[in-house]
Amino acid sequence: MLSQLLSCGFSRRDALRLATSGALGASLSGWMPVLAKATASAPSPAAKRKSCILLYMDGGPSHIDTFDPKPGAETGGEFSVIDTSAPGIQISEHLPEIAKQMDKITLLRGMSTAEGAHPRAKHLIHTGYREGVGGLSYPSMGAIASAEIGNPNLPIPNFVAVGRSQGAGFLGAKHAPLVVNDPTKGVENLRPLVSAGQFDKRYDLLGQMESAFLKDYQANQGADHKTTYQRAVEMIRSQEAQAFDLSKESSETKAKYGSGRFAQGCLLARRLVEAGVAFVEVNLGGWDTHENNFERVKNLSGQIDKPMAALLADLKDRGMLDSTLVIWMGDFGRTPKINARGEKPGRDHYPRAWTSLMAGAGLKGGRVIGKTDEKGGTVIENPISAVDFMGGVCQVLGIDSSKWYQTPIGRPIRVVDKSAKPIPGLI
Amino acid sequence: MTSSPSFWVQSIVRTICLGGLVGAVSIGLAADAPPKVEKAAKKATVIANAPKPMAPGAKLSPAELAKRIDGHVGALLSQDNFVPSPQCSDAEFCRRVHLDLTGKIPTAQEALSFLEDKSPTKRETLVDKLLASKGYARHMADLWQALMMPPSIENRRLEAEPLVKWLEKAFSENKHWDDLTREVLTASGPQDQNGATTYFLANSSLDKLTDSVCKLFMGVQLQCAQCHNHPFNPQWKQDDYWHTAAFFIKVKAQPPRNNKDTRVPTVAENNQPPNKKLLPESTKKLPPKFPAGEKPTLAAKEPYRPAFAKWITADANPFFAKAAVNRVWAQMFGRGLVHPIDDIQDGNPPSHPGLFEDLAAQFKANHYDLHHLLKSICLSETYQRTSKPYQGNEKASSHYLARMPVKVLSPEQMFDSLSDLFTPAAASPAPSQDVAKADKTETKADKKAEKKANKIPAKPGSAQRNQFLAFFRGEDGADQTEYQSGIPQVLRLMNSPQLNSPAILRNLDPRASASANIDTLFLAILGRKPTQAEAAKMRELVVKADKPMDKRQAYADICWVLLNTSEFALNH
Repeated sequence: MLSQLLSCGFSRRDALRLATSGALGASLSGWMPVLAKATASAPSPAAKRKSCILLYMDGGPSHIDTFDPKPGAETGGEFSVIDTSAPGIQISEHLPEIAKQMDKITLLRGMSTAEGAHPRAKHLIHTGYREGVGGLSYPSMGAIASAEIGNPNLPIPNFVAVGRSQGAGFLGAKHAPLVVNDPTKGVENLRPLVSAGQFDKRYDLLGQMESAFLKDYQANQGADHKTTYQRAVEMIRSQEAQAFDLSKESSETKAKYGSGRFAQGCLLARRLVEAGVAFVEVNLGGWDTHENNFERVKNLSGQIDKPMAALLADLKDRGMLDSTLVIWMGDFGRTPKINARGEKPGRDHYPRAWTSLMAGAGLKGGRVIGKTDEKGGTVIENPISAVDFMGGVCQVLGIDSSKWYQTPIGRPIRVVDKSAKPIPGLI
Repeated sequence: MTSSPSFWVQSIVRTICLGGLVGAVSIGLAADAPPKVEKAAKKATVIANAPKPMAPGAKLSPAELAKRIDGHVGALLSQDNFVPSPQCSDAEFCRRVHLDLTGKIPTAQEALSFLEDKSPTKRETLVDKLLASKGYARHMADLWQALMMPPSIENRRLEAEPLVKWLEKAFSENKHWDDLTREVLTASGPQDQNGATTYFLANSSLDKLTDSVCKLFMGVQLQCAQCHNHPFNPQWKQDDYWHTAAFFIKVKAQPPRNNKDTRVPTVAENNQPPNKKLLPESTKKLPPKFPAGEKPTLAAKEPYRPAFAKWITADANPFFAKAAVNRVWAQMFGRGLVHPIDDIQDGNPPSHPGLFEDLAAQFKANHYDLHHLLKSICLSETYQRTSKPYQGNEKASSHYLARMPVKVLSPEQMFDSLSDLFTPAAASPAPSQDVAKADKTETKADKKAEKKANKIPAKPGSAQRNQFLAFFRGEDGADQTEYQSGIPQVLRLMNSPQLNSPAILRNLDPRASASANIDTLFLAILGRKPTQAEAAKMRELVVKADKPMDKRQAYADICWVLLNTSEFALNH
């Protein structure tokens, strides 16, 4: 019964509550319709579970100097453009490897969002809600994916973040990101401080103490505590936890992804998705190029070009691309206007028009949705707001964005606000 | 399309947790309408045989008020045929009251001396001692600092320390709650001279401040009325929100703008309302008027806040005493008599209406004395019940208080308790004879090792404490009875080197008897001595080990096990 519940979308905690409240003993006939309903609406096991890898460009990348170049415009910048594997689509000269993968990519050049300060913008684009509205703390995409499409039986968390990320908000610790700061080191504190044998002894003794306490006190919180420990120990001992170990990759594969934290993060993301993790976010900072924009964007482009291209090719080769959505985005775009405040020219925050990218998960590639004017300053076709974008991500991942969450303050909140408009032609 | 099963279960489970008896909650299934919660069905229950109303003007002692608490709680229990659990053991009481009043577990010494005390009034003595302790003032300041300074990006540059110090002083003097509230709500000046101004600096926009004042000091959620009339509570209109906000419209709070901003943050009440640009977009400009009350006569040039502070703390105010009483009750029992604690309204009745009235009346009659209120609760049989179930009362939902509700240690309580175990001074072993000798023979190497391994400084506001709190912080608004840790948190507890080298362990004397050392570990971590079965099992581990190294390992194993138990992680 427990596994049946878990497999049809009940969280472990719900199941645990049911178990501890005696409902699984069918002592309350009133439960039966609920269980029947749950079984009826569970997705068919044949439907392939989707996963998502979010490559997050912290600071707000210049769209004009990456994926929405404006050659010839006065403010077009220093870079020239190159052709890609998709006829008619051109991008910055500093992204040659990604250019070769363009047939897998949908460029969303009509991003137009409402927040121009970093923290609020990051919050908005990660959650689809403005920070603090209604006194709530909102879950980010990763937490929603963990709650909605994560495999509850996976012995590792369904939301892993390489570097910074946004949290689970009102969805709670269960869906909070497991943060990996250094991909080469994997999960913090995953290894016991004592030998495996010694650890087993300790854990066994702990189990005996726990049984006595739980029998005496019959406290739900104790049962939750025990379950969380069981899951953590399951992870420590699991095969899946090896997904965090990059040393298991061949040197050939590692070479394809290249070196550096972001490259290793991309490789780790692929390993985790392969192991069944629903959502992996990889963060690359440094895009806040108020000064020295061109040198810095060239350098950052170099950091993403090879790993991101390798990730797409690798997913394709392994037959995982159709079930994995890859997103590239940042806080916002950057101004067409080139400022001369610093020693070297820079570009400032610009949420009004920018570009994000999606690939995989069954999306057609080699296309552009949305269009900006000749300077890259205004969206003139198919604008996409943060809420629309969030709705699009959910749609692609098969998450019901019209579902209501019951929040701690009692106010129901939709997964995605109902103002979301579909992204034309995305699916 | 239907709502997902997990939503269903959560809602229904919640209803059952709430008692399920108070009223039916139906969940709408339409995909595009929020689930409707039928509030109308929820009505305050009349409890048969509840204590008769007090005489007007009655002023009860803590012992008398404790009896009234038990009378009200007992009436609901017997009405619904639940048997209360017996009184808790001394060890349970000692640990519980330390956690609830001072925010950390007792040290081994404190636990042992309480257990060995033969006085029949030792529980009351302990309550008095803790209320007068620095630990109490620090813990209360910690709780209120977190409420008054919500963690947000805007507040990251604002210093918490002036507020913490101000609150600590106020709670150590047991400042009357009305005086404290008045001083906070009218605070002006530079932050380094008046720590109470931090409240305005931390809630520097008009809407945040209004929401916070209503929540913290009136126990009502007015924030929904910012943009529209309150959906659940017809009492609150959108105009009420902006009438209330108007009392704060002239406050000018200048929190630090950026890292280079070196001005002392300052709060002032100007004569002029601020520039429109500084107000939230939705602002409706209305004159100051008390929520659901009258409109005071205020000259345009006069400060508005004192009038509001006077109104909110007046005995006639219908919200003020109740809001405080409900928060204190939740601090002690894990949830308020009204739950959620800041949603006091007709549609959300208290579990024990008569008790709620009595507590609020006595809080007023005793001049808003927090010590009096807390002591009354601590002396009650209700508070002193064991949390173990008894004769089928585990079926009673927690609001019955048939047994003491189990609470989860907050990240603050967890950190402060651990930090004691990791601090050499506080973690010295219980004063049993054979261990006492060991103190003198401590080697230099031991001291060095202690210094090195003592990585958890106890200082509130320290970077390490903040980092720990951020890592362990649970769901927003979750009450203390919900378990919040996930895998990363328990991995850290199990496997982080910083959390696995407690001073308590290094202070053990390898030559002392195994039983004495095991007692010390149990007392220090769980606040009790081991049961016979536990003692035998643990002793076996130690005795089996021949070499001193292996004995150390055995103690380390025991310590690890105790620190990772539910019993340690919970306040039971």
